[in-house]
Amino acid sequence: MAVGLRHFTARAGNGVGEPILDTDNGEELVHVQPSVSVAVGNRASESLGTLYITTRQVIWLSELDREKGYAVDFLSLSLHAVSRDPEAYPSPCIYTQIETEADEVEDESEDSDSECSEVLDLSKIREMRFIPSDANQLDTLFQVFCECAELNPEPIEEGEEEGHNWIFSADQLEDEAGAGDDVEWHFSQNPTNTIGHSNGHHDLASSVLELQINDQRFEDAEEMEQDADTGHHHQSQQ
Amino acid sequence: MLFFSYFKDLMGREVTVELKNDLAIRGTLHSVDQYLNIKLENTRVVDQDKYPHMLSVRNCFIRGSVVRYVQLPPDGVDIELLHDATRREARGG
Repeated sequence: MAVGLRHFTARAGNGVGEPILDTDNGEELVHVQPSVSVAVGNRASESLGTLYITTRQVIWLSELDREKGYAVDFLSLSLHAVSRDPEAYPSPCIYTQIETEADEVEDESEDSDSECSEVLDLSKIREMRFIPSDANQLDTLFQVFCECAELNPEPIEEGEEEGHNWIFSADQLEDEAGAGDDVEWHFSQNPTNTIGHSNGHHDLASSVLELQINDQRFEDAEEMEQDADTGHHHQSQQ
Repeated sequence: MLFFSYFKDLMGREVTVELKNDLAIRGTLHSVDQYLNIKLENTRVVDQDKYPHMLSVRNCFIRGSVVRYVQLPPDGVDIELLHDATRREARGG
């Protein structure tokens, strides 16, 4: 799974030259649209190709140049739309925006689309248009793009399914130990002065829990004076 | 599924979707799915400097994962209701 637009040259050896798909992993061809031009970034449109829409990606293969083809995964298509405004583009087309590697790392120094360079760096392309010779096909194409995009939600990594350990409010801490209304602590950086018991082997989390359970250090100051062993810093909340 | 249900109630309303690439698109909310993919109609770009080619696009499908914000009509938002609902959902209740 690659991010962004890429070259695609894997064609079947038969006369038709259809793209070779990842059928072992369930990729299927959903729609074929012949006579489609493609315009990559700000470059002029490249004519006479066939658009193949699969369950995973959009592939355009040139009919004139058997070595030329482009593909982009639906995972990288940020949006697609039917464009009929001649001021936006002279021909009615499917307009798409492509998420690039640069977007993912938020690289501010990137130029917008590379243009007019001899060696086209597809990975920087952010816009792409598909111009069918038959404009009546636009709505169908748009629908197919929608359906296939819906088949490609963000993959869920294994770890995420376990659920978060997020705390949303102080109330949640009630389940674990009695929590006061205002519980803010300042932890001493000196490990020998751990909160709670004095053996110093507690990690911070359990130290916190112990602090919540009727710790006498929360008592009023007068009472604390009696506790001469307190070498621990206790800062009240600001 | 909270926001999926929430957005379903906002169908037909004008919203502005801001993408993670800073593009902001205003349009009528046509539909939304469980991944919060959003379809807008009668869209226009809010700030035309960055993407002038998108001046006006009739229908548009926005991938849920690239959405940063969805700006809602003020009268379409019941803050108390949302607050309670999100709190309950976060607790798994």
